[in-house]
Amino acid sequence: MTDFTITVNDQTVPVNKGQTVLQAALNAGIDIPVFCWHPQMDPVGACRICLVEIEKFPKLQVACATVAQEGMVVHTESPKVVKARRGVLEFILAHHPLDCPTCDKGGECDLQNITFKYGLDYSRLKEPKHRYIVDEESTFDDLRIGPEVIRNQNRCIHCYRCTRIVDEVAFEDDLGAYQRGNHTEILPPPGKEIRNLYSGNVVEYCPVGALTNTDWRYKVRVWLTEQTPVVCTLCPDGCNMTLWTYHDKLYRATARPNDAIDKGFLCDIGRYGYQYMTSSDRLKKPMVRKEGELVETSWGEALEYIKTHTDDLKKKLSGSGFFGFIGAGAYNEEIYSFQRFLRRVIGTNNIDYRLNRKRHLDYDKEITDRKLGPDSATYDDIETADTIVVFGSDLHSENPITALRVKRAIRYNGAKLIIINPVPTHLAVRTDAIEAIHKPGTGGVALTAITAAVLDRIKGDPSSHGLAAGDIADFNSKHSDYSGDKAAQLTGIDTTTIDKIADIVSKSESAVILTGAFFGRDPWRDSLLVAATNLRKAFKRCLLVTMPDESNVFGAEWLGALPNRLPGQIGFEGKGRFEDAWRGPLTDMVGKDTIGILEAINEDEIECGFVLQSDPVRKFPDGGYARSVMEKLKLLVVIDSFMTDTARIADVILPLAPFAESEGTRTNWEGRIQYSARALKPLAESKPACEIIELLSDKLGTAFQQMSPLDVYSEMIGFLPVDAPSNFERLPQAGVQIKANPEQPIGGFSTFQFNPVDSNEEFPFHLVTVNADHHRGTLTKRSESLMNFCSEPYIGLNQDDADKLKLSEGDLVKVESKFGKVVGKTRRLEDLPQGRVVIPDNFSELAANLLMGRKERYDRVKLSKM
Amino acid sequence: MILSDETKRKISQAKERYPRAKSAILPGLHAAHEEHGYLNDEMYKEIAEVLGVKFIEVAEAASFYTLFPKAKRGKYYIQVCRNISCALLGSHHLTRYLLEKTGTKLGETSADGLFTVVEVECLGSCCTAPMMQVNEKYYENLTIEKVDKLLDDWRNAE
Amino acid sequence: MTGATQNKSNARETRVLLEHVGDPNLHKIEHAIELGAYKAWEKVLKEVKREELVQWVKDSGLRGRGGAGFPTGVKWGFVPVNSPKPKYLCCNADESEPGTCKDRVLMENDPHTVIEGCMIAAFAIDCHTAFFYVRGEYDLSMRRIKKAIEEAYEKGFLGKNIMGTGYDLDLVLHRGGGAYICGEETALLSSLEGEKGLSRLKPPFPAIEGLYACPTVVNNVETVSNLPRIVLKGAAWYAGMGTEKSKGTRLFSVSGHVKKPGNYEIELGMTLRDLVYGLAGGILDDKPLKCIIPGGSSTPVLMPDQLDTPLDFESVAAAGSMLGSGGVIVMQEDTCIVWVAEILAHFYMHESCGKCTPCRQGTGWLYEILHRIENGQGKMEDLDTLLDLADNIEGNTICALGDAAAVPVISTLKHFKDEYIYHIEHKKCKHNNDFRLLPK
Ligand SMILES: Cc1cc2nc3c(=O)[nH]c(=O)nc-3n(C[C@H](O)[C@H](O)[C@H](O)COP(=O)(O)O)c2cc1C
Ligand code: SF4
Ligand code: FES
Repeated sequence: MTDFTITVNDQTVPVNKGQTVLQAALNAGIDIPVFCWHPQMDPVGACRICLVEIEKFPKLQVACATVAQEGMVVHTESPKVVKARRGVLEFILAHHPLDCPTCDKGGECDLQNITFKYGLDYSRLKEPKHRYIVDEESTFDDLRIGPEVIRNQNRCIHCYRCTRIVDEVAFEDDLGAYQRGNHTEILPPPGKEIRNLYSGNVVEYCPVGALTNTDWRYKVRVWLTEQTPVVCTLCPDGCNMTLWTYHDKLYRATARPNDAIDKGFLCDIGRYGYQYMTSSDRLKKPMVRKEGELVETSWGEALEYIKTHTDDLKKKLSGSGFFGFIGAGAYNEEIYSFQRFLRRVIGTNNIDYRLNRKRHLDYDKEITDRKLGPDSATYDDIETADTIVVFGSDLHSENPITALRVKRAIRYNGAKLIIINPVPTHLAVRTDAIEAIHKPGTGGVALTAITAAVLDRIKGDPSSHGLAAGDIADFNSKHSDYSGDKAAQLTGIDTTTIDKIADIVSKSESAVILTGAFFGRDPWRDSLLVAATNLRKAFKRCLLVTMPDESNVFGAEWLGALPNRLPGQIGFEGKGRFEDAWRGPLTDMVGKDTIGILEAINEDEIECGFVLQSDPVRKFPDGGYARSVMEKLKLLVVIDSFMTDTARIADVILPLAPFAESEGTRTNWEGRIQYSARALKPLAESKPACEIIELLSDKLGTAFQQMSPLDVYSEMIGFLPVDAPSNFERLPQAGVQIKANPEQPIGGFSTFQFNPVDSNEEFPFHLVTVNADHHRGTLTKRSESLMNFCSEPYIGLNQDDADKLKLSEGDLVKVESKFGKVVGKTRRLEDLPQGRVVIPDNFSELAANLLMGRKERYDRVKLSKM
Repeated sequence: MILSDETKRKISQAKERYPRAKSAILPGLHAAHEEHGYLNDEMYKEIAEVLGVKFIEVAEAASFYTLFPKAKRGKYYIQVCRNISCALLGSHHLTRYLLEKTGTKLGETSADGLFTVVEVECLGSCCTAPMMQVNEKYYENLTIEKVDKLLDDWRNAE
Repeated sequence: MTGATQNKSNARETRVLLEHVGDPNLHKIEHAIELGAYKAWEKVLKEVKREELVQWVKDSGLRGRGGAGFPTGVKWGFVPVNSPKPKYLCCNADESEPGTCKDRVLMENDPHTVIEGCMIAAFAIDCHTAFFYVRGEYDLSMRRIKKAIEEAYEKGFLGKNIMGTGYDLDLVLHRGGGAYICGEETALLSSLEGEKGLSRLKPPFPAIEGLYACPTVVNNVETVSNLPRIVLKGAAWYAGMGTEKSKGTRLFSVSGHVKKPGNYEIELGMTLRDLVYGLAGGILDDKPLKCIIPGGSSTPVLMPDQLDTPLDFESVAAAGSMLGSGGVIVMQEDTCIVWVAEILAHFYMHESCGKCTPCRQGTGWLYEILHRIENGQGKMEDLDTLLDLADNIEGNTICALGDAAAVPVISTLKHFKDEYIYHIEHKKCKHNNDFRLLPK
């Protein structure tokens, strides 16, 4: 539906009001060269390569910044235009080093391509070319300006894409343009580096080879490579990437722009994280335990070993003696076939993916009865919201691209950002956010206090917020202890902050609440969910989105990786459908969740387990317990790509091919199912999960004849409430969305129960696990590039706390709890409140979960200098 | 802390004059320049702090404007106009003469730390050419004699 | 035949803006008030409707004195006064165009008229915060204007509820940092916002989206200085001076090889000859004239046979040049034109903001070639290259600095190609242009 038309080169071109001549032309398939223009940023009209002739205009105009007016007559290749364009090119090339043979951008360089098109093969410049750094040693005049980014200023064409990405897109401040005129230089601020979480984008979008990165430079010529479309597996954002391979070897990952999701930007974790797949410690052959030692063996022997032992165990145990853990990083198909294997072949419902949770996870009655689930939402809901509440989440590091969309909401929508967390997070920097830091365990109180303050502001006219007359009185009667000064006491958030937030909330027309890992891992998550749904209700219009803490949690939830849910979130009353599909009976046993399983192992009720791509020993918030329990198993089969802490105690290890060596679909936090293709052959003897599971099933007597992910997909997709093609390769790039929980909460406000945090003299510090800069999970430590940003774990605490303990930066410090101790280097943090200790959970050498107790509500530790 | 409280006070006062704090970056640079006669990163940091703007914004701006030397220079910062009207009346000779007399090269500071001679673009004194600006002050309608006298006065003043 | 020497002109200045200039106490407010300062401001506030004022200035025919010569009243008319956004007036006192030093005379001598002009212009667009952007090097001007503003506040001509009329106006002095480009109106706004002085794309035009994305008018110092008198003496009086299309008087800074360099205020329409040979006393040592740059370094040269061109916008345009900023640069016969072009090219290279390609790269390139020719290493093909590069810059840049840089090259090559050729062939200049300091 377009508003009017213009004429471009005698072709009638439809235009939506407000579009530029460039956009209109591009949409109509008319190519106009650009350097400085980028679809996701405001035009600056600096490079002048897009000059076009518009009738009735005395001068040539830049297509990128000229808004199309009805009836305009545009010429994009007239003699006048071509002359000007050649002129611009000659100016750009005048001092541009023609070192294309040794330039990484060669073959994908906008300057090369546009010059190629306009055929400039000479320069009239007689003077020596200007060089910024004259370094006779190298011809490159390279300057490393960040852990990954290297600058060659000579090649810079001053399009300012890089500085605008850093400033306008990422809201960061570590790259700028200095001096003026033909001396303008791209640099980080004096004495600093470019190391923001999005730094890779400046390299990708530099139209020339002025900015390159260590990941890719001097390794391969781009035209030799093959490209494969994949979806990032490192967080639930689901960004689209292209993997670049040559001779079956990975060379880099770049953005594969998807307007619905990433808008063409990647975080560095996704961009450089792929390197873990190329790391030398990949498992290459199956292994079995002989005389207590894990030794390499053949697939045949490994499967035989599994068969004999499971057969024995099956004789004395029913299915309830078995279990399976699966990592929520796997493909949908892998999750689906794994749980099918467990339920149908092994005959157990002891299945879980939630390995980092403490309490039993069956929802409180109130929640299930009242359907207080999260809402289903999309990125665009975030971008169009006028108010965004981030609760219990380090959104910047957990969901970097979602954070970018929040920033777009701020930049283009004037959206207000409210952050409520136990620790300060980077998202608050340069976003004009109101950041409320609460004492650990009091997040629910904070939300309740805000809700109360909001209700107080709208009590005049509750119906405007869809509330019944009685609701407010009812809420207040139940929550009088959690508002005003009392709340301030409990949470440590002053009332003025609460008021500021309440003012925004009460005025908001459409909002989103985003929760993250601090929320998701809180043992009292259910009460937090109650508090959050209450706040949601106090808004006029608001979506509550619970961000998962692993990339495919949404898939796991919907594909049966839960004890009490079959694929499609179908309860056991509906198991008939599956018995038909899987050609055989399914057990009625009530499945156990993670804790139930571990306790049952401890009670010797469970003796055999299968673990796919997950590491309970490393992840479970009571590492010591998890290990000691798992060690008791008679048979532990681990399917993984690396020798994880859990694999070390396994009886059989089957080498798993990671995502790029297989294919399948993934489900991001929106519930969006996207296809990710296979870029490489599996390394050595490793195999994709679906194939391994099929081999196991077959070996144990029930073959499904579904070796390939596609076979699995075509069965699986039938159980999901989506309208999707039967072949995943035909999924649209935007994917198809599963709606989270279509039902709306029933009734008025619910009652928030506060569970006070006991103080503890012996262990005065609260332990909070976080992501280290540029890391997520335990895989990224295998990425050299990411290790350039942060190469070792640390123990972070407030600098005044540090002073009290006489700890200076880097000092070795011992962290002890009732359950264990770890030692690490001190990092003194300015803005971390006192009484907290943060430990990144990305490095096995410093396993924070050894300090945790599964029965502890919050983990308390003490510190001592070594 | 390199900027005096006085300077910082000036800067935060400047901030009040504008609808947006960022506008006070130039006044901030001027204030720092008045105090020290040159600018450096430390000053940018402190200006940014006082104004509540990004350090990089101050650094970028400072690098763009030519009025602020980025390093200490002579007590008498002699800026000779090199542009057309002055050039037509001999400013290039004037520069050469000054360099000779102060025993320096363009941009260099004399051994005694007194003089730095630089050439600058038109200073808007075209009808009183040739001219030079020494620190803040304009000296116009220059002749060899005038320059000799000025140099002597400055030297004697020490 | 240039008639250089036989000049019996009895040309006179018409001192309107310079009426009291020369009076040593003019910059003190008491004295200024005695001489009539702020009468116009009072009248405007108490008796004049905004629309009336705008109409008067339209009728007066006043055109911008900053360079573009755009009719001032018309420019004001573009401002959407009933927009909810605040409107801003910025007085452009960045005077940096080589050959131009007229605004400085007004600021140093008659600062009260200057700021009174700003106040009236502010009123004309319903502006309540105005900015005065003075170039950083102008120390005395800055101090005079600063003092004048302080005094005006004390006397209640600025601030809240001025003279009980309920009109509020603040005038903020903003000191530049040394950048010619900040005289260009959009770059001036960037600079005022605390950014680097990078020029901006138009549209949006400042009148619609200027300072802080609000409606903004940029007016030159000389332009606004005319306003108090227009208010007091009437549009008709002002329109009575000058020519058909170029009304009023104008300041010209005459510099270079003349006997009496200086700022002269004349009615538009006086001939170049009367200005240069009459008022400025003719060429130094009565040397023959080579050429004249009539409107600041960015305007094409006029030749001796064009001396009778009347100095008004239209005639000068017809003669192939522009009045620009009124910087009249006079060169006697043995001035090396290549050297002149080189000096100007160096200036534009040094002052290009660097935002857009043709200007950033082109200005430097022009300089490098001219520098080479001047130093005897020129090649014949350089001349075509110069013209072609200039042509590739002109009209293709974000702001007019690019065009300005192209002008000297194009116009000197047009008139003095032979000199360029001589330079290239003989690897030296045909003049012995050994300029000396002025005699004692
Ligand atoms: C490169 C460049 C430099 C300029 N410098 C000045 C200046 O120093 N002073 C000035 O008043 N106008 C200058 N101008 C013109 C301004 O852009 C603007 O047109 C003028 O200030 C408007 O005021 P007016 O309408 O009163 O002339 C310059 C323009 C350009 C392109
Ligand atoms: S470095 Fe690259 S992206 Fe940045 S301005 Fe230069 S050419 Fe553009
Ligand atoms: S793409 Fe239009 S000016 Fe650069």
